[in-house]
Amino acid sequence: MISLRNIWVVAERDLRTFVNYKFMLIMRAIWFLAQIALFGLIVNKMFKPDVELAIGTSYFNFYAAGIIITLLYSTTVFIGYDIYEEADHGVIEYLLSLPVSRKELVLGRSIGGGLRSFIYVSPMLLFVLYLIGVTNLLQFLVAFISLFLFAFGVAGFSITLAVSIKSSDKFDILLGVVDALIVRLSTTLYPLVYMPNYYQAFARFNPLTFAADLFRWGAGIESTVLTNPAVAVFGIILFFSIFTFLGIILHERRLEGGGWQ
Amino acid sequence: MKAVLHILERDFRYFFRYKWWIVGMLSMSLADLFIMAVVYTRMVNPELFIENYFLFFSPGIMITALFAAAFMIGREINAEIRREISHYMLSLPIKRWKLALGRVLAGGLRGMIYTIPLLLTTLFVTFVLAGNVPSPLQMLIIILALFLISVGTSGLSITLALSTTSFEKYVTARGVIYYLLFFCSTVFYPLNLIQSVMPQFFAIIAQYNPLSCGADLARSFLLGYPPLEPVMILDLVIFALIFASLAMFAYMKIIQK
Repeated sequence: MISLRNIWVVAERDLRTFVNYKFMLIMRAIWFLAQIALFGLIVNKMFKPDVELAIGTSYFNFYAAGIIITLLYSTTVFIGYDIYEEADHGVIEYLLSLPVSRKELVLGRSIGGGLRSFIYVSPMLLFVLYLIGVTNLLQFLVAFISLFLFAFGVAGFSITLAVSIKSSDKFDILLGVVDALIVRLSTTLYPLVYMPNYYQAFARFNPLTFAADLFRWGAGIESTVLTNPAVAVFGIILFFSIFTFLGIILHERRLEGGGWQ
Repeated sequence: MKAVLHILERDFRYFFRYKWWIVGMLSMSLADLFIMAVVYTRMVNPELFIENYFLFFSPGIMITALFAAAFMIGREINAEIRREISHYMLSLPIKRWKLALGRVLAGGLRGMIYTIPLLLTTLFVTFVLAGNVPSPLQMLIIILALFLISVGTSGLSITLALSTTSFEKYVTARGVIYYLLFFCSTVFYPLNLIQSVMPQFFAIIAQYNPLSCGADLARSFLLGYPPLEPVMILDLVIFALIFASLAMFAYMKIIQK
């Protein structure tokens, strides 16, 4: 039997430890501002007029919405680094000794990992929404809830990788490579129609594509180049379910027994 | 000179400890070029600014990678000051100025080593797509420009690292400088576009930004545009001289505190 209270206690702990990463949080905020205020504004004027027609808004708005999803992704994956920190300092053994089941532990961590990123990203998300303007509240609520699931899914993904690999060096490089590919092979930075076919094949099924296009749809950007919202919601639910399930299984099997490098 | 070589060797050993970081950064740079630039090439308005964005961006990514790698030394030096490893450094039978020179040069040379794969990629790309092969003299000037950027960046990063013992403050200042120089440069877009979109203050930064000068200098040899101007080389020489000297001076002062 899973106790919601136990899950919340684990999640709350992760929320509190997030403050320790204040330098990372500051860096990400500066990165976001630079991306929007410098890169986004300049690149907005660099493209053909048909880009704006295709995406149904200015490229700046399209890009700002995508950057929020990138930020949400990159702050959420940090939960994996937390696990290595804990392994380094012997905190994993302490966590295992708590009267909390393994399932509650991993669910709490996924929720905590996702929630803390969401709280961090919220002011910037509101700023982007202010820039774009929300036209349909119901659409926005659907997108907002889906983004929560997306963040929990990313946390589950990061936990799954961390406990599968058990080597901080390998995790670091793998996450770096995944980050390089998953962001660029998605619609966070550009619409699917402008990608060559061989990139489209990956981008079409990328959870970041689902999240970015859904967020744009929620903010009221109307365009045929965006992923169908129903498909995007389904994709995010699938992503969340797979990685939460995998996270639970692997967490239960691999967390004990040491072997952390 | 032997003492400086010892310092260089030490810093190179440290650099290769970050091999995973290096591989991660390289993959990001290559993904920027082979994914982002490929897609942007299909979106960029060729009538306005650039005909082939992929070609345009190729020398730019080499410069950003060089900058990021040369900047790493600052983080190490900031950590050494906080952990008082500088006391150990002072105990070495090496003159202070040689120690400082070694650190600045090491930072610069590490950046150069890291950039080699990206330089080769850029040369390959410009040869295949534009049919341009730089002459030996042009190649030498490109390498010299990369070295100047690298040493200047290493100096800038060391100066910054020594200006505060707080890691948070260092990281924040680094973030501001890092992204300002990255995005306010001609690495991603041409100068005339920046001038037409951004306020004059940012346009001036972009024009005299060493990253812009380095990227445009490489483009002038590898792509044939923009035209090479002596101010580009002068800018890089001044940048390297100022920040290498500042870093050496600051390093000699701070480790004696």
